Amino acid sequence: MSVPSSRKITQILRAELDKLVTLPLTWLTLIVTFILNLLLAAAFTSAGLQGAAGTQSILKIGLASMGYLQAGFIILGILATCSEYTGGQIRTTLTTVPWRGLQLSTKYLALAIITIPAAFIIAASGVLYAFIRMRDTAVVIEIDTMIKTLVGATGYLTLTTLLSAAIGALLRRTTPAIVVLLSYYFIVSPLSRDFLPSIKNYFPDTAGYYMYMPPSSDEINVLTPMQGTGISMLWTLIFITVAIVFYRKRDA
Amino acid sequence: MRAFNAELSKLFSLPGIWLAFLIGAFAPVFIASMDSIAQKEEIIAGVSTRLPEVGYIGLALGVQGVIILGVLAVSSEYLAESSESGGGQQITTSLTVVSSRLHFLLAKAGAVTVISILLSVVAIITTLSATHLVLGEYTPAFDWLKLIGAVLYWTFTALLAFGITVLTKNGIIPLAVLIINTSVVSFSFLLSKVTKLALYLPDRAGAEMFMFTSDRFLTPFTGGLVMFAWVVVLFIAAAIVFHRRDVAS
Amino acid sequence: MLTINNLVKHRGNQEILSGISFKARPGRVTGFLGPNGAGKSSTLRILLGLDRATSGSALINGKPFAELHNPLATVGAALDGFGAHRMRTGRAHLRWIARAAGLSRSRVEEVLEIVGLTNAAGKRVGNYSLGMGRRLGIAAALLGDPKILVLDEPVNGLDPEGIRWIRTFLRERAQSGNTVLLSSHLMGELAETVDDVVIIKHGKIVADGTLEEVTGNHHTLEDAFFALTSEHTGDVV
Repeated sequence: MSVPSSRKITQILRAELDKLVTLPLTWLTLIVTFILNLLLAAAFTSAGLQGAAGTQSILKIGLASMGYLQAGFIILGILATCSEYTGGQIRTTLTTVPWRGLQLSTKYLALAIITIPAAFIIAASGVLYAFIRMRDTAVVIEIDTMIKTLVGATGYLTLTTLLSAAIGALLRRTTPAIVVLLSYYFIVSPLSRDFLPSIKNYFPDTAGYYMYMPPSSDEINVLTPMQGTGISMLWTLIFITVAIVFYRKRDA
Repeated sequence: MRAFNAELSKLFSLPGIWLAFLIGAFAPVFIASMDSIAQKEEIIAGVSTRLPEVGYIGLALGVQGVIILGVLAVSSEYLAESSESGGGQQITTSLTVVSSRLHFLLAKAGAVTVISILLSVVAIITTLSATHLVLGEYTPAFDWLKLIGAVLYWTFTALLAFGITVLTKNGIIPLAVLIINTSVVSFSFLLSKVTKLALYLPDRAGAEMFMFTSDRFLTPFTGGLVMFAWVVVLFIAAAIVFHRRDVAS
Repeated sequence: MLTINNLVKHRGNQEILSGISFKARPGRVTGFLGPNGAGKSSTLRILLGLDRATSGSALINGKPFAELHNPLATVGAALDGFGAHRMRTGRAHLRWIARAAGLSRSRVEEVLEIVGLTNAAGKRVGNYSLGMGRRLGIAAALLGDPKILVLDEPVNGLDPEGIRWIRTFLRERAQSGNTVLLSSHLMGELAETVDDVVIIKHGKIVADGTLEEVTGNHHTLEDAFFALTSEHTGDVV
């Protein structure tokens, strides 16, 4: 197999970015996620304000919507890979760029390029909203803790998006991919935390939780943010690798 | 009747429907058994606080299966996600075969209803037997009214999914919203902390039919009625929109 | 030059292609004929690297598709269907392809002009008619100005004007030394366009030669086709 030059890789990357940017669904998903997140942040803040005053952490409340927020990014990831299979676009893609491993890898890269700023803005908007509403009652937070947490949240959302994209590439159809991922993140995982407390920290979402949640002392066997990042990243890489292996072997 | 049979055969020939069956029929058993096993010691010791909930939790979450069913029944008419099809949508064929749009919608809703009832009955039977198997003599008695409530909850949820998908024509939004909403911390649960009105949302009201919530707000009967009202309103809205809309748009 | 050599493809237990071989030469239009499900599209998909052959090879200028340095400038392909996401506009679709191959945006406008889609370029592909979808597919195939064209059922859904246009267009391409391979099951149309004919049936080649050779004693290409592909024929090749 010929190795394409770096100029060619840039071209392919820009083409993948073009594909994502010109897809109206990408923007629709991000905008809806942004709006819903603000609404949720408002709901959590109101609930937080009604609770014990003075002891609330702005970060914790601003990021309380993360559990829902990730759904938007799961959908974004699925759309990025499954959209190839709508209208037979995959045939055009592979006749234009027949180097499949490279093509799928650049797709992940393009997706990450779009996700990182979007995730940061959306996560930050929630925290900002909580900050504005609660600055009188809540304890003061240090700016570097805030940035560290937001970076963690961005990283978590990006990894989730990439993981979803990998599952999407494996399943190739939007509906089953959405069902599988959402039922894992919203049903199976919360349940398994009760059933399998010993290994719960090693699932991609529970490990990723430690990337952005401020450490609390009342929990045992918690992970450090770095451990959480590592485990989460490992899962994402495994799924991406499996997706690429299948993508290369399979008939398009 | 012929339109109804046609809708049934359309549903059964969809590959995605097997995913719905798999989740609808097996997830409740699985969850209920896991839950029973996790709680077995406490139940035997007589200290479990969640004894009356055993088993029902599986039924509350297994409703996902019929959500998929309701969504797929509609979205498959619009979706062309095959690499070979040149953008054809089944809806055009369907509406030339059954010319009355209302009949078409009713036949489809009928097919969804029948399959949901069957699926929920299967889920209840398997869940009850699994709970018995795990807990033996400690199994709490199951109340017939509550089981009927669970069947109604499943059927109404499937019809809600169906109605929403007619409005959106796209399966992604209803699937995402409804699946997330069946989770342990649903939107409506969150909203109910902000306003009491959220307790009238269909899933909260419907859950009163068979779940034991500590802060009971509606009786099982009114809960069911509220959920049914949602279904009717949504179905009328869907029928009006569907009747007015150009098929190709 | 396209070389198909002893190509075999199994899908599950089914044998889709059982060892087919033929060539499509430069300067000629080669017609690839067969009834529905005979294996035409499978052959083209393997040729374009979309599907994997069970054994045998399909080479483009002596190389498999995935080893071409600049695939879009070597082979232009338009397979069945639109090959584009329904929610993108036609222009956006061609632009990302051009981007991937390092071609300029003005080239996109050129091919839109060639296929007569300039006015519809801003519309979403989902709203295109079948004929417009074909034109978009052909536009994508022409983007890199390739020496080889592979078209699956190119006239499918085109209006009479479009059919005439593509006929003269393909003839011109071949006359200037390019290779054109097109599959079709429209005999009358094909007989007016092609130089060479390959007929496939149940995954086997049943005829391969120039138009005159394949037509042979039969009145028209259509008669020859039915004589070769109907179930009751004896041993012809």
